[in-house]
Amino acid sequence: MATVELRGLRRTFGAVVALDHLDLNVNSGEFVSLLGPSGCGKTTALRIVAGFEWPDSGQVLVDGEDVLDKAANKRNMGMVFQAYSLFPNMTAQQNVEFGLRVRKESREARGKRASELLELVGLASAMSRYPRQMSGGQQQRVALARSLAIQPSVLLLDEPLSALDAKVRVQLREEVRRIQQELGITTLYVTHDQEEALSISDRVAVMSQGRVEQLGTPAQIYSGPRTAFVANFVGTMNKLQGTVVSTQDRTVRCGPLLLSVPDPSFNHPVGETVELFLRPEDISLEMLSNGDKPAAGLVEGRVMSLTFLGPVTRVGLATDIGTLLADVSSAVALNLAADTVVAVKLDSASLHSITL
Amino acid sequence: MSFTGVGVREELQPNPTAGSVAPRRSRSRRWAFVGILPFAAYISIFLLIPTGELIVGAFRTANGTWTLANIHDIFRAPYPQAFEFSLELSALSAAIGGIFGFVVANAFLHRGIPRWIRSAYISFSGMAANFAGVPLAFAYGATLGSLGVVTILLKHLGLHIYPSFSLQGLLGASIVYAYFQFPLMILLMVPVIEGLRTEWREAASNLGASTFTFWRYVGLPIITPSLLGLVVLLFGNAFSAYATAQALGISNLVTIDIAQLVNGNMTLNPQDAYALASAMILIIVVTITIYSLLQRRTSKWLR
Amino acid sequence: MAQVSVPAVRPAPNRIRQAKHRAPVWNFVLLLLGAIFFLVPIYSIVQFSLQGTAGQGGFLHWYLTVFDDPVFRSSFWLSVQIALETVIASLVLMVPTVFWVHLRLPGLRPVMDLVSVIPFVVPPIVLIVGLAPFLKDFSSWLFVRPEVLALIYVVFALPFMYRALDAGLRAIDLKTLTEAAQSLGASIPRTLFRVILPNLRTAIIGGSLLTVAIAMGEFTVASLMGFTTFAVYTYQIGISTAYEGVALAFISFLLVWGAMLALYLLGRGGRGAAAVAITD
Repeated sequence: MATVELRGLRRTFGAVVALDHLDLNVNSGEFVSLLGPSGCGKTTALRIVAGFEWPDSGQVLVDGEDVLDKAANKRNMGMVFQAYSLFPNMTAQQNVEFGLRVRKESREARGKRASELLELVGLASAMSRYPRQMSGGQQQRVALARSLAIQPSVLLLDEPLSALDAKVRVQLREEVRRIQQELGITTLYVTHDQEEALSISDRVAVMSQGRVEQLGTPAQIYSGPRTAFVANFVGTMNKLQGTVVSTQDRTVRCGPLLLSVPDPSFNHPVGETVELFLRPEDISLEMLSNGDKPAAGLVEGRVMSLTFLGPVTRVGLATDIGTLLADVSSAVALNLAADTVVAVKLDSASLHSITL
Repeated sequence: MSFTGVGVREELQPNPTAGSVAPRRSRSRRWAFVGILPFAAYISIFLLIPTGELIVGAFRTANGTWTLANIHDIFRAPYPQAFEFSLELSALSAAIGGIFGFVVANAFLHRGIPRWIRSAYISFSGMAANFAGVPLAFAYGATLGSLGVVTILLKHLGLHIYPSFSLQGLLGASIVYAYFQFPLMILLMVPVIEGLRTEWREAASNLGASTFTFWRYVGLPIITPSLLGLVVLLFGNAFSAYATAQALGISNLVTIDIAQLVNGNMTLNPQDAYALASAMILIIVVTITIYSLLQRRTSKWLR
Repeated sequence: MAQVSVPAVRPAPNRIRQAKHRAPVWNFVLLLLGAIFFLVPIYSIVQFSLQGTAGQGGFLHWYLTVFDDPVFRSSFWLSVQIALETVIASLVLMVPTVFWVHLRLPGLRPVMDLVSVIPFVVPPIVLIVGLAPFLKDFSSWLFVRPEVLALIYVVFALPFMYRALDAGLRAIDLKTLTEAAQSLGASIPRTLFRVILPNLRTAIIGGSLLTVAIAMGEFTVASLMGFTTFAVYTYQIGISTAYEGVALAFISFLLVWGAMLALYLLGRGGRGAAAVAITD
């Protein structure tokens, strides 16, 4: 399977910079997601790899060879579009066979391969159906089968699940991953849905404004965001502001708290204002009896909102160090109501500092 | 006569009860029909009844007795020749306008063509399609008439198109008709071509197909029914034309013959006029039926 | 900033591959041919009409001759009047009807679609065959009034007016607007005039422009009924005096061009006006 490398891709549309020196590499058989908000350039990057757009400068190397000189129909990549890409005048089978027909395979060989692939995506029974007779999820499965029929070296997916219902989306993304792993095909997947990206990728490239903000495994992206953008975009983050007390000990004063920053590379000078980030699940609450003050190292908080999320409840708290969101188990949250005063404990070991 | 847009048949929405509550529904429904009366009356007086009268009149003599004599008259000279020429002219102008219109529309819709060219073509087409009639005929008189600008230009180049060419002949008249058929085809084809989703082209390209292959397996199969349907529509359009033909001085055309019968120039024979007119209606109904059947096929795919 | 691959040497910027986006030459050839086909007759009438015959004055001679002719003015004025009457009659008939169908009788929409197509099946020449004896019998004074033309033209304009209004109504959420108005106490007529009509302005103007174009250019019915409208006048002059006829053709061209330009500009400003074509 092929390796893909994007080097220094740059693309502007008039005054708008869609891609700003984008660099990325995808290893053979790897599933990499391009994750970011609309306008970050992820789709542009994908379309450049596919050959539907060209960069102003930069290279796209597949197995070390620059493919930018090749037309889109000569790159042997499979692409799954967001929606409506099945040929309406052909059945599922004919759609899947299309790439093989172009390559002048025999009718027999085509039929066999089409059956195999439709079987793989679980739609063997729909072979003679037309796109308008299929649901959105089924159409996308056929689209996937169709793109795999030509045995591409790279698989490209442009938000293939965005147009589908939530439940179908979850089901289908698991299948896409399963099939990808089974075939071991190098895959580039574009999405704006972080849950999707984190759940099925080998690595995730978080993009913003035409650049890769961070490239890493889902766990790395989630627990170790390296920029403020990544911290805010992926999952929810609490932002705390504090003043550096000691650079050597890496301590920061934040309201009444003295926080210890775990990141060894933290080296802000004393007195500087810094921002620290903490996930809601790294904040815990302790009940306070009436009138009690919180213990040392904890801060007082007043419950402002309770949002039931299923297994956890997100608690909005007003504290001396700002508004915080804490995730507590819903069972515990039953004891909380608006204006309840609690003690808020921050798990220092999970504090992120973003070094710019 | 003309349409724009593809597959005018949109999905019927389930009947909303807009304002009426269940028990009152049947009563307010009946009253609602009252609102449509003025329109119904108007259409009846100015369209339906006259049409009905003339169809009935085709089967009656001047005294009011039933007869098939008028129908027989259609098959006697000079009418068959008129029909022949009308059909030929309609077919040729529809073919010229249709093919040229499709090809040119396709040309300016290519994504490499600057947007202003598309706008210019669409606006000019709107203008040209409405220019039909007397002014158009005179314009071509000034162009390809015996003293026309182009005629003289060709003479200078050594090409003497007269006397074998004439604006009243099949080729000449077709060129004149093409002046409104061609832009009409453009206007009607644009939504059809644009209905071909870019995803299909890109998917085809991604799967290895060249532009030619895409058109062969996906593009043309999808739009051919619409293409044919529009050519058929153009046919009907040309067949109905009168003003342009009259101003060009064509004499052996069905519409011209009808006019002369009603005017009293030839022989005062309204019965024959009814018969001819009925025949025209029949032909046009057939063309519109073929058109809408073909249109439905394409709209099925273009959604 | 996380970066994984580090190119050793940044390669020189590649050639702009926009070349792949350029359309094949063939397209330009076709477009040029199309433009020539469109423009040659226009150029011809301009040139032809500006040719003076020897010794007969300046290059606007034919236009001046035409403008001097009192019949030019009377026929033009007649056509304008009829056009306006057609528009008014058409709007008075169609706006409430289409509004009503959309609001109360949505099941009739396909019927209306079909009915709006019938004028295509019954071209002007056929319609006049059916109408003439009918009108003659009915009332001879009716037969000679030009207003009759306006009433007939409403039928010809029907498909276009209907489509424009239908599209305009579909573009606004009629049901919701009406229900909102009614919940605030408005009656149906008031809703129509105060709420719906202002939102249909573009569609109404679009439909009206097309109607005017049809009415001003109509020849068949007018000539067979013996009225001297502008188109009939053009014909009569043109078959006897080619040069003046061509000058009139150019004036007609400018009229149609003006109407279509107005329609186009309108279409860019608002919604609900579809570009439609009419012939003959």
